[in-house]
Amino acid sequence: MEKLRKMNRKRINRIISLSEELRWKIGDDFHDNLTESIYADASKIVEDSVTYTNKKSRFRLDVNIDKIVTSKIWGFPIMLFILGVVLWLTIIGANYPSGLLSELLLDITHPILKNFGESVGLPWWLNGFLFDGVYLAVAWVIAVMLPPMAIFFPLFTLLEDFGYLPRVAFNMDTMFKKSGAHGKQALTMTMGFGCNAAGVIATRIIDSPRERLIAIITNNFSLCNGRWPTQILLATIFIGAVVPESYSSFVSLSAVIGIAVLGIFFMFFFSWALSKTMLKGEVSTFNLELPPYRRPVFWKTIYTSLIDRTLIVLWRAIVFAAPAGAVIWLISNIDVGNESIASWIIHALDGFGFLLGLNGVILLAYIVAIPANEIVIPTILMLTIMVTGISGGEGAGVMFELDSFNAMGDILKEGGWTLLTAVNVMLFSLLHNPCSTTIYTIYKETRSVKWTVVASVLPVIVGLIVTFLVAQIWRILL
Amino acid sequence: MIYNPITALLVFLAGSLLCFFVFRPKNGIYTLLKNSYQQKGKTILEDVLKFLYHNQEASNSITTNDLTNSLNFSSTLIIDSINKMMESELIFLEKDTYKLTAKGNEYALQIIRAHRLWEKYLSEKTGFHKEEWHERAEKKEHELDTSEINKLAILLGNPKFDPHGDPIPTNSGRIAKKAGIPLSSFEVNCIGKIIHIEDEPKIIYNQILAENIHIYSTIRVIENNKKRVVFHSEGEVFVLPPIVAGNITISVLENSNVNEDNIARLSSLKLNETASIIGLSKECRGENRRRLLDLGFVKNSKVQIDLLNPLGEPKAYLIKGTTIALRKEQASKILIKNNGKQGE
Repeated sequence: MEKLRKMNRKRINRIISLSEELRWKIGDDFHDNLTESIYADASKIVEDSVTYTNKKSRFRLDVNIDKIVTSKIWGFPIMLFILGVVLWLTIIGANYPSGLLSELLLDITHPILKNFGESVGLPWWLNGFLFDGVYLAVAWVIAVMLPPMAIFFPLFTLLEDFGYLPRVAFNMDTMFKKSGAHGKQALTMTMGFGCNAAGVIATRIIDSPRERLIAIITNNFSLCNGRWPTQILLATIFIGAVVPESYSSFVSLSAVIGIAVLGIFFMFFFSWALSKTMLKGEVSTFNLELPPYRRPVFWKTIYTSLIDRTLIVLWRAIVFAAPAGAVIWLISNIDVGNESIASWIIHALDGFGFLLGLNGVILLAYIVAIPANEIVIPTILMLTIMVTGISGGEGAGVMFELDSFNAMGDILKEGGWTLLTAVNVMLFSLLHNPCSTTIYTIYKETRSVKWTVVASVLPVIVGLIVTFLVAQIWRILL
Repeated sequence: MIYNPITALLVFLAGSLLCFFVFRPKNGIYTLLKNSYQQKGKTILEDVLKFLYHNQEASNSITTNDLTNSLNFSSTLIIDSINKMMESELIFLEKDTYKLTAKGNEYALQIIRAHRLWEKYLSEKTGFHKEEWHERAEKKEHELDTSEINKLAILLGNPKFDPHGDPIPTNSGRIAKKAGIPLSSFEVNCIGKIIHIEDEPKIIYNQILAENIHIYSTIRVIENNKKRVVFHSEGEVFVLPPIVAGNITISVLENSNVNEDNIARLSSLKLNETASIIGLSKECRGENRRRLLDLGFVKNSKVQIDLLNPLGEPKAYLIKGTTIALRKEQASKILIKNNGKQGE
């Protein structure tokens, strides 16, 4: 028995050494050649056994469309025009349903719920916590977020289905290549104008690991639809007011577009910086398939984009907004000593806020509103009224907005806002951490705590530095 | 303290400068501190062994002065380390030159194995630029232990050569021999294959990188004199000074049926021309290589340009009925036989 085992071991060793010898002889090329010949054989078999019904591999119509949308003269104007139309439809088209929803959820349902709470004998604090805190935050997010997403995503998906978007990536690739990114980042960036969480999910189309991480980390520099209303509001109240009335709407619109363009600039800059430093070791590949055009399946596309993109993102936002509402209500209503927690925090942050050209109210609003950018302005208004003690508003912890921009401007000016404050809030709204929905999505997509932290912290640091510099230079010059 | 925007700015500037000096990648205080904590003794010892090994291969004799002059450490540290190595019988003194003992030779081969395997790993599994491979491997070779090196070799499929064409010793110390001659002494009109591109010194290596010369490409020398070496490869013409050409090693291709003129790079294809694919260059590595194979860039496939780009790059190629856009550096790693203009 023992002898047999010994013999076996001897044989095994001989086989192993023989295999090593043979491996040595066939050399490095063997593996490559084998794979390549398998691929070549497979393609030969396909060629011999598959017949095509139409001999022409590309439809004539396709070739003609491609020639126009990728031409030197028409390529870029067509792209800008389509992007403009999509954004215009989203922003303008969302106004009406948004107004309707906010009237339904905030003006009508909210008082009913509060009265209902009183009538069944809920104590005031539970009533306030549930309906002024949790319900209001959720309702706010739905009213502001749902309509633009329900318009933007289907439009985007239709373009995608038709086959136009890969051509955009094709046209834009050189610009993105210069900053170490992939042409498809043009698409995820545009998706970010709708919603950063959806933009992060959309980076799945980039199959190169390094370029995908770049696209994920820099997506937050796309101004999302939760932030567009903030920009428009502040630009109209403060920036439009410095110029004669006939120019004011033009100037405030330019300011908003300027902020969005600044975001694109930061996106390019940080794509470049990341690809040269932290991400240079990640594997990088490139290929871009230009699929044939096809007629989009209209209703199916609408349905899937509503279910896959809009509702999932909305649900995540609701899940995160509810606790935020609770926190906002609690810190405004729980007193420590003779002041509420919110006042204490605001006073503590005021000094630092001043250094950044902001104030404690704004910083606190951005901290508690991490779950959703949509509730930043209502929170700022509520907190401003609370700390200044001016009349108005709905009470401690109850977020609100007013119908008239001027009335809101008056409240903010009462809270000490200047033109500098408005400019810096606009900058900070562009350059701060992604909302918690996006952070969670980044974690789900990358499965890495490291990249999630980088993506969350990088924009805040940029925001702090930029607002700080603007504030100092502003104060020195003016 | 009274607030003043100018002071605030100055404090900020001072802070950023401080951060810059602490964290800058080269000569930053942070990097220097990190390096000084690493085992210096091991690094010096292994660098001396490697240095002796390479010079022994080139039949140079090495004295103490040669060692202290060539290695980037203080003389006292090097002499310290030499004494230790003599004690542990890694090297011995013959007249006034140092020689490796059998044990020292084996140790040196393991370091070289670690270095070249790591370069191979960087080339296949990461996105680091070629330029960085050597320096990263110079650090990593001192950190890997034997079992890690063997695991790495298995992961990479026991490669025989590193990405520059240098042979990788096996774990039993066996090393492939390379027979080749420097490009600078290659005769005109001879056909050969680039089998090695030296990655040191860095200045010359960067010059070779800038030319986009691909390893294992077939070449034909057109002109070779004291001023310059001109050669033809993959449809392109390259001109190099002899000192740079000396760092490229060529093996002569004996069988004359190789027709070098028929090989071109896909990047040179023009609109309306058709071509068939010969294969992928060896410069196309790792994930990139697999992607291109998956997409159908395999031997004998027909390829043509489908769409030009408004900004010049990437171009879209029609392959196997699908339109695939590739950037120039990828297209240059696909080798084709140009079949000329297609009859309309």
